[in-house]
Amino acid sequence: MEQPLLYRRLRDLVAIAVVAVFMFPIFWWALTSIKPRHAIFNKDEVVVFNFEPTAINYKVVLLGQSRSEIAIDSGNTFGVGGNSSYDSRQTIIDSMIIAVGSTILTTFIAMLASYAISRMSFRGRNGYLNWVLGQRFMPPVAIIVPLVSMYKTLGMRDTDNLFMGYIGLILMHALINLPIAILLMKSFFDDVPKDVDEAAMIDGATRWQTFRKVIMPMVRGGMAATAVLCFIFSWTEFLLSLFLTTTIRTVPVKITTFVTSTGSEWGFISALGTAAIIPGFIFILLVQRHLVRGLTLGSLKE
Amino acid sequence: MSDTGVSTKQSRLFALPKFLSGEHPFPWLLPATAMMVVFGVYPLLYAIWISMHKRNAATRVNVWDPTYNWIRALSDDRVWNALFNTLTYTSLALIIQLVLGMGIALLLDSDRKGYGVLRALMTLPLVVPPAVTAMMYLLMLDGSFGVLSRSLYALHLLSPAKPILANSATALPGVLLADIWQWTPFMVLIMMAGLRSLPKEPFEAAAIDGATSIQAFFRLTLPLMSRVIAIAVLIRGIDLFRIFDYVKVMTDSGPGTATETLTSYSGRIYFSGEFPYASTLALLTLIFVILISTAFMKLFRVRL
Repeated sequence: MEQPLLYRRLRDLVAIAVVAVFMFPIFWWALTSIKPRHAIFNKDEVVVFNFEPTAINYKVVLLGQSRSEIAIDSGNTFGVGGNSSYDSRQTIIDSMIIAVGSTILTTFIAMLASYAISRMSFRGRNGYLNWVLGQRFMPPVAIIVPLVSMYKTLGMRDTDNLFMGYIGLILMHALINLPIAILLMKSFFDDVPKDVDEAAMIDGATRWQTFRKVIMPMVRGGMAATAVLCFIFSWTEFLLSLFLTTTIRTVPVKITTFVTSTGSEWGFISALGTAAIIPGFIFILLVQRHLVRGLTLGSLKE
Repeated sequence: MSDTGVSTKQSRLFALPKFLSGEHPFPWLLPATAMMVVFGVYPLLYAIWISMHKRNAATRVNVWDPTYNWIRALSDDRVWNALFNTLTYTSLALIIQLVLGMGIALLLDSDRKGYGVLRALMTLPLVVPPAVTAMMYLLMLDGSFGVLSRSLYALHLLSPAKPILANSATALPGVLLADIWQWTPFMVLIMMAGLRSLPKEPFEAAAIDGATSIQAFFRLTLPLMSRVIAIAVLIRGIDLFRIFDYVKVMTDSGPGTATETLTSYSGRIYFSGEFPYASTLALLTLIFVILISTAFMKLFRVRL
């Protein structure tokens, strides 16, 4: 059933317009990151394209140059003072360690649990599932007070021991991602017919071998989608990182420190913000097909 | 094959208890369960215990007084204000995101050239950290040089005398804008998956019977998607109810208490050092989430 040409063209236009509206904030953000100061803070007119692009914000944030160095280079010493606290190289490394660490941990633990939930029948299976989802109900603020004192007792704050600080935040990010990862992985395992397991086990494979050699390769796409979602949630998490760490700074926490009582450094904020979007976007594009399928948590089957 | 014989013998000698074997769900569930108990359940119980203490402001000592904070919370006007704000925020965001998500999913659900690119671009907002999204909107809604504010001034929808985030009547919609931008794509993804899985036959039959596409949408698409929609509302609703990042960064609950939600109120109290009351408020949020989502799951028969 072919629709009339006019209708199709109209639909194309609307679709492009809608996506453009959603792209606008990111476009504006990226544009702001290459604007010179006076173009960002222009109160007389909105500067769209009529400015000299500059890489100064990226130099400060990603290369760790201090503002005075750059100011001397460019001969413009407006608003220069002190050492740069805007150097975000360590922040990006911290964020990477925590996101990758928690992604690996969550995916592994969630695979084991969701395989059992999908394949084995045991008493309290539904109750267990509801309890897993219930973990997600918890507002992180509710466990902050106990967690901070727990970490203090165990010496797991980053001020006590940097290594344990990383572990502490990795564990917490894994915890908040675990419910969604388990539910996602369960829906991917449910897609694989149980006959496959039974056939493997009749051939003499143990449960573990069936899981490793037969089922895991079949859900590789789902596994990747789960991992990407965990990575993005950890990479973007704000509240727990804010409360639990002082020397380790993840990107979202660091970026909020750029807002100071004397004004916000929008150039640096937007440069770091733009850079922070890139890894997540690459990953999400790679697994989009599986993600779309998985996000319905198996509610499509009857 | 002598070594298989040996290993069978050994495994019999050191036979594991049945619940530790791979056939039993126990070892599979152990890591996840252990983690959720140690870092989820234990802190939760601890929080309940803390909430039953009264903090002496002068000596900074917490004294056992099980009902003090709970009675205080129930008679605290700011709690009811925060609850009202949270509910307003959650329901408005849910409705708008659901309608927009469904609409955009229908719009982009096409196999024609270029639509794949549009769908990929549509997921972009999801990877932006919410704190960064909040900052983005802070910049665009800035009263003097923000591009959105200035566009609204130019259209006479807003006056420069009342910047959107600094005015108690418009601050909540301002924060909502960031949330809608960030999470509508999530709804689009879920709805798209739902649309793609719809059976073709009923639609063909309806077309033969002369049903319009609007009739087909309300009579077929919506009912067939009800399970997907229910799951989407549940997941999004839970997250919305615990909203923190946008409020914290964009308005810090202000102006006054105009955008104060349950979690941001709890966070404010936390920073003032009154941990028992902060815990009580956070637990109160948890209780509301459990009550509302359980009712929702019962009402719409959502099963996981």
